[in-house]
Parts: sequence; C-alpha cells; structure tokens
Amino acid sequence: MAAATGQIPGDPTPFSVSLAETASSAIQSFAPISRIHQHLCAFHFYADDMSRQIEAHHFCAHLNEDVRQCLVFDSPDPGARLIGVEYIVSEPIYLTLPDEEKPLWHSHEFEVKSGILFLPGVSGAVQRQDLEKVAKTYGKTFHFWQVDRGDELPLGIPNLMMALTRDGQLHENLSQDVEKKFGVSFAEERGRRAYMSGPEHGVHPLANGAGKGLKLELREVALPPTASVPRVFV
Amino acid sequence: MPPFSRFFCNPLLFTLQISMASSDKKPELAPASTGIQGQEAPGKPESIATTVIDAGAKLVQSMKPIQKIKQHACTFALYGHDLHRQIETSHYISRLNNDFLQCAVYDSDESSARLIGIEYVISAELFERLPAEEQKLWHSHAYEVKAGLWASPRLPDLIEKPELENLARTYGKFWCTWQVDRGDRLPLGAPALMMSPQGVNAGMVRPEMVKRRDDRLGISSKDLKEARLEMAEPEWIHPNADYWKQHRKGFAVDVVSAEMKTVAAFP
Repeated sequence: MAAATGQIPGDPTPFSVSLAETASSAIQSFAPISRIHQHLCAFHFYADDMSRQIEAHHFCAHLNEDVRQCLVFDSPDPGARLIGVEYIVSEPIYLTLPDEEKPLWHSHEFEVKSGILFLPGVSGAVQRQDLEKVAKTYGKTFHFWQVDRGDELPLGIPNLMMALTRDGQLHENLSQDVEKKFGVSFAEERGRRAYMSGPEHGVHPLANGAGKGLKLELREVALPPTASVPRVFV
Repeated sequence: MPPFSRFFCNPLLFTLQISMASSDKKPELAPASTGIQGQEAPGKPESIATTVIDAGAKLVQSMKPIQKIKQHACTFALYGHDLHRQIETSHYISRLNNDFLQCAVYDSDESSARLIGIEYVISAELFERLPAEEQKLWHSHAYEVKAGLWASPRLPDLIEKPELENLARTYGKFWCTWQVDRGDRLPLGAPALMMSPQGVNAGMVRPEMVKRRDDRLGISSKDLKEARLEMAEPEWIHPNADYWKQHRKGFAVDVVSAEMKTVAAFP
C-alpha cells in the first residue's frame, strides 16, 4: 500500500505535462495562493477518536486580522498530500458564531502554550509574536483523506478534527518524532511561552465539541423534480 | 466563576442543536450568516505588525507543498443536495502524479478570495478501482471541459490543449467548506458535497453566471466549446459517478454526537 510514504497510485508525471505546468506557473496568476505566508505544524485528532492523531502541516493566509484560512498537508515535503482545511478566528469572532456551530471549533490555547504548535524554521522570539495571538483563537478543521489508516486515495466523507487540549493526549512517539525532525523542544518552548494567555473570556464551554465526541454522517436527499424548470442549453 | 453559564444540560436538545450544522440546513440568522451574498468575513483589516511577521516568516520558511501549485482554472460547481445553487470557482491545482490532482478551491481569483473547499481529481483508471459506494461521491468532468466551462485564465491554447483531453476523462470529488453563496460570512456547518455541471436539465449552469465569468475574464465559453469540439470524448462515463443523474438524489452531511474514544481526559 505504501501509504505511509505518501505514494499515490498512478503513473509518474510525463515530462510534457511538467513542462506545461512550468509554463502555467509562470504565466498565470495565483493571487489567493500568494497570500499564504506561514507554515505552522501541529497535531489533529478525529473528533470521535482521540487515539487517531495526525501531524498536520498548515499553510496559512490571513483573510484579515481576525480570520485565517489554511491548507492542511500531511507533510512539509513537495509530494505532500492535501488532506484538509483549517479556519482560524479570533475570540471576538468566535463568540458571534451560532451556538450550534461553536462545538465544531477547537481552542488553541493548550497547543500554543505547550510548545507543541510551532512555526518550522522561524526563531522562537519571532514566532512567539504571532503565537501569542494564536493562543487566543479558535480553529475549525476538516480532513478529507484518512492517511493515518493507510488510505491511498481520499475516500469516504469528511472528518471533523479536534486539537490537543491537555497534557497526556499526544502520543509520545509522534511528539518525539516531530521534535527530532524539526530540531525543536516542546518543553523548552513551553517554558518560554508561559507568559502567554488564552482567550480573554476563557475557553468557551461549547468549544472542542462541548467536551463530547462528534462525527459526520452522510445522508441521501431527494432532489426536487426539474421538469417544470425550463433550462437554456449552455 | 466562569463568565459563561449556558450549558446544554439536555442531551436531546444538544443533539438537535448539532443537526442544524448539517450541510443542507440554512444556519440561523446571526452575524456569521446574514443570508446576504457578497459580504466579507468579519474582522479588522490586517495590521502592519501582522503583515511584517507574515513577510518575515515567508522569507525563512519552506513552502514546498504550496510551490507545487502550478495551475489555475476557473469553472463552476453545483451543490449536490440542491443543484439550483451554483457557484463559480477558482481552482488552484497541484499535481501529485499523472493520475492525481489536488485542488485548493477559492470563490474568486483575487487576493481577498475565500478558501471554500478542496477538490481531488483522478484519472478514469483510478476511479474504476474505487468501491461502488465511494464512486457515488464523485462527478465526471467531460461535459464541463467540452462545454467550455472549465477555463485556464491567461494560458495560451497551445499549452492548455494537450492536458484538457486528459482532464475530460477524469473524475472529481469536491467538498465545499464555506457556503459563501448563501451569505455565510464565516465557514458554517458540515462540508457540502458538490457536483459538476452536466449537459442535462438541472446540471446546466445558468447562462447569466457563465456570461458574468466570461466577461470578467475576457473569454468566451462558446468559443472554448467550439475549439474543443474536435477533442475526443471519453467513450464511457461511469454510471456510478454523477449520482443524481440516474437517482435524482443528492447527499448531505450531518454532524452527530458520538462516543469519543479517548487516551486521556477531554477537553
């Protein structure tokens, strides 16, 4: 299956195709992608299964000061699989969400303060400038590709994901693996981030699934008949 | 004493509340969902400090997966649970191999564009290997390409053409995480499964939407269609794709309570 090494089934890209892509990358415009300014590494787990944890590489852009949108990949490598999205909002924005929406979002306070969430390649002092803000935010994450169970392709329905909220949740081997790969020490960073604080009003009780498990289910819906709607052929 | 004392003590009430986050249910009117199309996300403009920090990070950080995004396409999609709801999309495409593309989908091609979902595109060969239950979630691309709806802005025909024929044979799976067309100012609810334009009835994109897109890009879908007339059609579209065509049914996604398997206390 080779899914652990990120092997997607299929033939290698022919040279002619690569050439065409080099051309398109030079000629076309990629404005929304150019807004992506930051690489952030953290862990997600399934909203109904904390034991299934994924190292998640976020590539984030600011929509404005209070809202970020991130593409989530399973590694920082060129062949990385795009496995999900995460939206990040500041506390004031989170508080305006309808109550039935709030449980789908997770808090970031623990991840940031524990040192586990970090910006690879960026010095401590510089990353802390942004992370003190991130500590007060809430995130909403969906994954579409269950790479942790060895899926070679993105199968099934989306999964709502959650984030670490306390010590003891993160698998030791995942933690050490990331520390080694990126040459960081979570414990050291935790010490330096002790001054940071989470949301002004505390972590909202409805966040993080309101403390319960959540999952997504697929439902068939009947489509309205269209006989009565005249359509022009496009 | 925590500032918030609103807890959902009634589990039944809690479940009902969560079901309102379904992909096909309109969210209650709130600052996050005004129901008015075209409104920006709430929030303050980016501060200078943020811009500076971001610029600094971009200089030192490696963004390899993002550098693999080398193609931009503009096309249309329909909500799988309500084909009358149609959107224009900007796809930013990264190729993993000759049979697989992964796309970051935005609601426009401007720097202020909102990330509205992810689409995966696979060759017919890969599609055929999927289980039948999985195939139902995917849509075909043949019509969209041949009808001139799929367009590659600014790219000369010569460069685009060879790949288009391959694209016409592919299948896509598109989850929309932000329903901006119904006025959501923030991404609300569960992801919605999207479908592709098709050449029959409910699958056809409204002409005024196509015209608006064409005018903005300075292109003509009609001309693209004519140029693509000669392009080989796939001999066969798999019947499990475009599920709604044969079954008149779409799919919605619900959020439901579940027993969480834990390894430590939560939250």
